[in-house]
Amino acid sequence: MNLAVAEHGFLSPTGAEIAFVLIGLVVLGSALLVVTTRQVVHAALWLVVTLGGLAAEYLLLTAEFIAWVQVLIYVGAVVVLLLFGLMLTKAPIGYSEPPDSAARIPAAVVALGATATLLTVIVDAFRTAYLHLGDDTVGSTEVTGQSLFKVWVLPFEVLSVLLLAALIGAIVLSRSRSRAHSGRKD
Amino acid sequence: MSMSTAATATLAVTKVDAPTIEYGKLSPILIIAGVAVVGVLIEAFLPRPARYRAQLTVALVGMIAAFGAVVWLARDLPDDHRGSVTAMGAVAVDGPSLFLQGTLLLIGIASVLLIGERRLEPAGGDAFAPQAAAAPGSQQEKDAAAAGWTQTEVYPLTMFSLVGMLLFPAANDLLMMFVALEILSLPLYLLCGLARRHRLLSQEAALKYFLLGAFSSAFFLFGVAMLYGYSGSVSLDKIGVASAGAMDNDALLLIGLAMVAVGLLFKVGAVPFHSWTPDVYQGAPTPITGFMAAATKVAAFGAMMRFFYVALPGMRWDWRPVMIGVAIVTMVAGAIIAITQTDVKRLLAYSSIAHAGFILTGMIAMSDAGVSSTMFYLVAYGFVTLGAFAVVTLVRDARGEATHLSHWAGLGRRSPLVAGVFALFLLAFAGIPLTSGFSGKFAVFQAAARGGAGSLVVVGVLCSAVAAFFYVRVIVLMFFSEPKVDGPTVVVPSVMTTAAIALGVAVTVVLGILPQPVLDLADKAALFVH
Amino acid sequence: MNPVNYLYLSALLFTIGAAGVLLRRNAIVVFMCVELMLNACNLAFVTFGRMHDNLDGQIIAFFTMVVAACEVVVGLSIIIAIFRSRRSASVDDASLMKW
Repeated sequence: MNLAVAEHGFLSPTGAEIAFVLIGLVVLGSALLVVTTRQVVHAALWLVVTLGGLAAEYLLLTAEFIAWVQVLIYVGAVVVLLLFGLMLTKAPIGYSEPPDSAARIPAAVVALGATATLLTVIVDAFRTAYLHLGDDTVGSTEVTGQSLFKVWVLPFEVLSVLLLAALIGAIVLSRSRSRAHSGRKD
Repeated sequence: MSMSTAATATLAVTKVDAPTIEYGKLSPILIIAGVAVVGVLIEAFLPRPARYRAQLTVALVGMIAAFGAVVWLARDLPDDHRGSVTAMGAVAVDGPSLFLQGTLLLIGIASVLLIGERRLEPAGGDAFAPQAAAAPGSQQEKDAAAAGWTQTEVYPLTMFSLVGMLLFPAANDLLMMFVALEILSLPLYLLCGLARRHRLLSQEAALKYFLLGAFSSAFFLFGVAMLYGYSGSVSLDKIGVASAGAMDNDALLLIGLAMVAVGLLFKVGAVPFHSWTPDVYQGAPTPITGFMAAATKVAAFGAMMRFFYVALPGMRWDWRPVMIGVAIVTMVAGAIIAITQTDVKRLLAYSSIAHAGFILTGMIAMSDAGVSSTMFYLVAYGFVTLGAFAVVTLVRDARGEATHLSHWAGLGRRSPLVAGVFALFLLAFAGIPLTSGFSGKFAVFQAAARGGAGSLVVVGVLCSAVAAFFYVRVIVLMFFSEPKVDGPTVVVPSVMTTAAIALGVAVTVVLGILPQPVLDLADKAALFVH
Repeated sequence: MNPVNYLYLSALLFTIGAAGVLLRRNAIVVFMCVELMLNACNLAFVTFGRMHDNLDGQIIAFFTMVVAACEVVVGLSIIIAIFRSRRSASVDDASLMKW
């Protein structure tokens, strides 16, 4: 392959390719296990592997900021929350929950169809594209922050509204009023 | 800044140039966001007995103020009615966004009136669970109900959802659109699960809505990724420019278009992405169902029109046949499945699916008339739907709302007024002349016929006829059959529900008899900013 | 390196996630599959950002992550509320409705 990986890559060109393939296989394998494993807790743990692998892929793409945010938000927060969810719903460890056989065939058909379509599209679209790494797109935290607060400032601020809404919603569904106030009427 | 070699070094010390944001142009959205935040503060700091009144007042005053801001912005639009883009290209302030934002705010006002209704439950309280965290049927729940607790958090949640709805049709790039989609959806998922009666059903509705909603927004996002890959930008304008001429990489564009469309069609409940609609409409608290049915459709169709008209006008020959197919299937399936329904809320849900098909008909016209007729239809449909669900909250028996159709038999003899109002709404759904439904259907069919989608118009008219059959069947049931002995009673609501229903009736009749002023307004507002 | 490889990975991941959503019955696992799909979108965004030489892709990926975090919060609170009512997190047990 014709390679133009520049100084900003974390590895040499061939190294980056080898790393991509290896990590990619890990990501795919663990994603398949998330979907197929019968043990719910294992699914969550395989999800950690998938997400961590993706963080490594981001590093290979020189998206430094995104890679660390991936580790912090996904591996650090989302998976932990999911594990808490499993714990609170008392998902039995080691219990095998059979995937629904009725939906298996349509699901497989849909999945194969979607894969085929997407792969064809990508093959068709990017047969000749190569990654040329320029200086200006390296996703360091600094550059990302500049762009975030210049161009994307409104969506960013609106995200805070979303976070607040999610927070309030979760509180409404989960928080019991304490017994001590039960005498008071609204 | 002077030398390019030192660019990286200077970045560290350079202050970020402040982005330009015209706050005035965003004022309707900002006001509602402020109302939501004030609502949260009320929950945090006011004593419980004072919260209900405070929340209701703040929400209503805020929405009226925001509506005033919309009117003010609309008057400021230049004479050619071209709008402008603000917030670094994230939000478009143009005719369609202002028209739809105004509609959404009016629907929001009526919905909050319904949500605030506290006269209907015999034991007092509103349509929401006294304590959402208590398990259904538990002692804790009974205690909470006996103590007369209520959860006033529903008001800020509704306002958060409204923020997303106001942003959704105005979003001028796909990222803003995605964030707005999530803001409108997440509070709605939660609100669906808060019904006071039939709580299990309600929670399952929330779960179903949430899982399918998250699934569909993942499709939306992958579509955005494909379009970004195609054009190098998520701005609708730039995608429009890129898609106008290019021939290579078409596959990427098409798949992106299709996946974004899946996300949007899910939100409007078009077949084949409709399966959540009946269950969620049935399970959710009825005031929320009304809000969701009316406002989500307005917002999502606004976003869909902007997406297709601004980003992909050059692709119309590719997407139009597919969308025509979707519209036909939606109209046919909605009308036919509705015939078999025995529950009023499910019936209204299938009717809303059929209406999504009619609205798509207007959108497909790809002309200014298409935009204006679609917007007119959305106004007409929104208020009829809200009014119909408001009537549903009034017909009750010991177990809450009596939604089974058999309970509605003979309602016209017991309370002719309520049955008459419901009959008016059904006639408007059916598109009988002198109601808003007729004006709306006429406008969209006319636009579609002129836009060269004659076959669609034929199917639309046939489906209207089928749909009219089941609407009339309900009217016959209400007026010409014997009332059941243990049938439901019609509860007399407070002034709030009455006002909401009166607004629905007024809009239905006025738009039926004198549609021209609103049609003119929609015509003027039909230009998207590019 | 040919960036298409990253897109292959993304497409495969997306379809694995989508298949999982249709296949699995445990609400939390269904939800994990949705997360896989969102991650596939992120990978596509970052890759396309590299190909187009602009940062937007990475910014969007960041936004997606925050949105996903919000979805997790809301989703888990709904799932746990249902579990408390019904003592099960299986989607199939949602017997009152057709799934």
